[in-house]
Amino acid sequence: MLNEEKIRLMTGLAMFEKRAEKDVFPVNRYFKGDYVSGHMIRAFLSYTFSCVVCLGLWLLYSIEEILNTLDIEKLLQMAKDIGFYYVLGLLVYLAITWIVYARRYAAAAKGMKIYQAKLHRLAKKYENQSGQKESEGGKHQ
Amino acid sequence: MMALLVFKEKLKQFYAKFNIYLVALVKFAVGYLTFYLINSNIGFMERFKNPLIPVVMGLLASFLPSGTTAFLAGCFMIAHVFGVSMEVALIILVFMLLVIVLYYGFRPGDGYLLLLVPMAFFFRIPYVVPLLVGLSGSLVSIIPVSCGICIYYIIMYMKQNAGVLTGGTMAEAAERFMQIVRNIFGNELMWVMIAAFAAAILIVYLIRNLSVDFSWSIAIIAGVTIELAVIFIGDYNYNLPVSVQPMVVGVIVSVILALIYQFFVFAVDYSRTEYLQYEDDDYYYYVKAVPKIAVSAPDVKVHRIYSRKTAVRHEKNNGS
Repeated sequence: MLNEEKIRLMTGLAMFEKRAEKDVFPVNRYFKGDYVSGHMIRAFLSYTFSCVVCLGLWLLYSIEEILNTLDIEKLLQMAKDIGFYYVLGLLVYLAITWIVYARRYAAAAKGMKIYQAKLHRLAKKYENQSGQKESEGGKHQ
Repeated sequence: MMALLVFKEKLKQFYAKFNIYLVALVKFAVGYLTFYLINSNIGFMERFKNPLIPVVMGLLASFLPSGTTAFLAGCFMIAHVFGVSMEVALIILVFMLLVIVLYYGFRPGDGYLLLLVPMAFFFRIPYVVPLLVGLSGSLVSIIPVSCGICIYYIIMYMKQNAGVLTGGTMAEAAERFMQIVRNIFGNELMWVMIAAFAAAILIVYLIRNLSVDFSWSIAIIAGVTIELAVIFIGDYNYNLPVSVQPMVVGVIVSVILALIYQFFVFAVDYSRTEYLQYEDDDYYYYVKAVPKIAVSAPDVKVHRIYSRKTAVRHEKNNGS
C-alpha cells in the first residue's frame, strides 16, 4: 500500500536534490578553506585578466600622448600608479569574493544538514516498515 | 476588486497547467525581440539582417538560459558593429569580457536584466526596471541594470554616428578611437540614468522591506520620485537632452506596470493584520502577521437539463 508520508518525504528530497545539484552538492565536496581559497585564486586570475584587457584599451587610447612625452620618470610614476590601483582593486575584489563564497558555503552546509536529516527520517521509515513485515511474516508462520 | 482576484486565480491555474509552454513562449518573445531590435537599430551587416535570424535565435533562446541568450546577443551586436567600426566593436568586446569575468563569475542568475533593460528603453518605459528590480531582486542587481543602460547608450551612439565612424586611415583610426571612448563614456545622460536607476533600486528595496502598511506601494511611489529627482538634478547640472512629455508618459505607464506586478505578487489585506507577542528561552518575538488575500476561482460545472419535449421524444423513441 502507498505510504503517503514516505512519498511526501521522497518528493521533498527529490526536489532538494534537483535544486542542490548546482549549488549544494559541489560545495559539499570541499572544506570551507579549500572552497573559498579555490574561488579566490579564480577571482585573482579573472581580475588580473580584466586589468590586462583594460590596460590594453587604455594604452590604445593614450598611445599618442605617451609617445609624445617619452619621459622615463613620468612613465615610471604612471606604472607605479597603475600598480597601486591594481593592488587596491584586487584587494577589494578578493574581499567581495571571500564574503560571497563564505556565505554560499555556510548556506550549502545548512541545506546539507536538512537534507541529511530528511534522509535519516526516510531510512527510519524503511527500517520500521521492514520490521513490521518481518513480525507479520513470523505471525503467519 | 473581487473579479480581479478571481481573474488572478484563474491565471495562476492556467500558468500551473501550461507553465512549460508559457516559460518557453516568454523566452522566445524576449529572444526574438532582442535580436529584432539589434537588427532594426544597428543592422549594419547585410548578411545578418535576414528577418529569419531573430526567429531562429528566439527559438534557440526558448530553451537556453537567459545568460547564454545575452551572450549570443552581445556577439551578434559585435558582429554588426564590426561592419562599421572595429574600434567600437573592440570597446563592446572588452565591456562584455569585463562583465562576464568579473560579475557573472559569481553566477548571480540575472542575465535576463542585460536583455530587458535596453528593451525597456526601446519601448520608452525604462523607469519600470528599477521599480521591479527593487521589488523582486536584490541590491546586487544594480550592476546588470547599469550594464544594460550602457549597452543601450552604446547602441544609440552607433545608430546616430554610423556614417562618421566608417572608413579612414590608421592615423585617423587612432584619433577616432579616442573620440569614440570620449563620446561613449563621457555621455552625461548615461551616467545620470545609471545614478537615477541605482538610487531608485536602493530606495525601493529598502522601503519594501520595512514593516509598514502598504510598504510596496510606498516603495513604488518613492522609487519613481527619486528617479525623477535624480534625472532633473542631472538635467539642471548638465543640460541633458531629456524631453518631458515622453518621460511623464513613460513614468505613468511604469507606475501602472509596477502596481500590476504588485497586485500579482504581493496582494495582502492590511485591515486584518494581527500583532502577536510571545517568547521562548532566548528571545521575545513581536510579530506582525499580514494575511494574503486569497479567493478560490469558481469551479463552474454545467448540468444539462433537457426540456420536457425532448425527454418525451426520447421516451417515445425508446418505446418504439
